[in-house]
Order: sequence, then C-alpha cells, then structure tokens
Amino acid sequence: MNEGSITLRLQAKVEEIERLNRQVRQFGDLHEVPSRTLYAVNLAIDELVTNAILHGFEDAAGQELIVRLEASGGELIASVIDSGKEFNPTTAPLPDLHAPLEDRELGGLGIHLVRSLMDHVEWQRTDGRNVLTVRKRNR
Amino acid sequence: MQIKEDKQGEVMIVTIDDHLDTAAAPLLEARLLALIDGGERKLVIDCAPLQYVNSAGLKVFLLVAKKLENSGRIVICALAPSVHMIFEMIGFTRIMQIVGTREEALRVIADPPAAA
Repeated sequence: MNEGSITLRLQAKVEEIERLNRQVRQFGDLHEVPSRTLYAVNLAIDELVTNAILHGFEDAAGQELIVRLEASGGELIASVIDSGKEFNPTTAPLPDLHAPLEDRELGGLGIHLVRSLMDHVEWQRTDGRNVLTVRKRNR
Repeated sequence: MQIKEDKQGEVMIVTIDDHLDTAAAPLLEARLLALIDGGERKLVIDCAPLQYVNSAGLKVFLLVAKKLENSGRIVICALAPSVHMIFEMIGFTRIMQIVGTREEALRVIADPPAAA
C-alpha cells in the first residue's frame, strides 16, 4: 500500500454518495489498498455519510460534509465530519440480530455494519461538528 | 438500477444489478412490492451480479422477507463472497433462505415449506 491522503467535500445530498464511493475506490486503487480493506472502509464511509445526510439535519439544503481518507502505517483511516445534530454511533443501540424475522427491526443496520467491519470507531463532538474516525488494518 | 424479471411457473425470478446502494434501494423496493401487490408469492432474488450492498439495500431484503413471511416465500441466491459476508454479519443468514445457485433456489422454493 502506498501512503497518502485525500480530503473530499460533498453536499449533503443522497445523489452525492455515488460519486463519493467512486472517489474512495479510485483512492484505494491509486494507493494499492488491499481490496478487503477498501471494500470495508468504502462501505463504512457510505453508511456514515448516508446517516448524516438522512438524519443529521433539519434541513440538509446547503449543508456540506467532509470526508478525509488516509492510507498510512498499514491501515486505512477515514474521517467523516458533519455539522449536523450530535450523534454518537459508538454508543447508539444496535438491532437484535438474534430476533426472529417478524421481530427484526429495519433500522440500525448501517451502524451495526460500521462497528462490525472496522477495527476502531471513534467519535468526537468538536466545535459543533461530529467527527467520526474509523480505522481498518490491512491483513 | 437494472432489474430483470423472469417468470417460471409460479416463481418470479428477479435478477438485480451490481450496486444496491442508497440510490438504487428505493427502486428495487418499489419493484418488489409491486410484484407482491400484483399477486406474486414465490420470489427468487438472483444476486449473481451484485458486488456491493449497503444498509439501504439490506433493508429491502428484510422488508420483503417480512412481507412474505406468512403469505409466501423468498429465496435469495448466488451471493458473491463479499456480499455473503455482509449478510452473515447482519444476521440475515439466520432468518432468510439463502442458497448458492439459481437452480437450487428453484428447487427449494418448489418444495413445501418445512413444518415449524
């Protein structure tokens, strides 16, 4: 893996996510990030950004998100920064995965995926912004 | 989102696209619910082209499986290893019928459901 980093800015719109995913994969290919690492981090970023866009703002119009991606020291590190409502996914309740089909809830799947796929998930509230950092080691 | 539909007897086989993300999920959900509203009760979802699914896409499988739980059947087939890993992680392999191939799916869905 080649070390490097990139900072991406996007509008808080669902339509932006596809372009973001493409840019994340391009970064991964360019830096020769192992495919399993890239797949997991791409999915985690997708979930975090989707969550922030859909649930973070009273009115998402004109709002912006920042995604920072860094390949360094044998791991891929991603940060998602938004100025939406305070939300800490590291303590959010998870769906009961052992519930029978009829009792399975539709919500919470994304946060569960992020916490399962990543080696480390960290949340900070700084200057009115959510700063979420996830890490995945190459292996 | 390209969705292919292929009716074989009383089974509707729906083949989905390579990306099932936040943009594509509502389209698939609308299509599958329309099929169920139109009377389809046996659905095979062929995921052979699927390479990427996020929680919005996973939610569609859960919603449709819940909808058909008492009135029909849904069998999911041909998950790529990376997609299967996600289904497993989220506990879907315990609550949904997931098989390796379309042929197997057609065989399973033709059989009467196992007694509870």
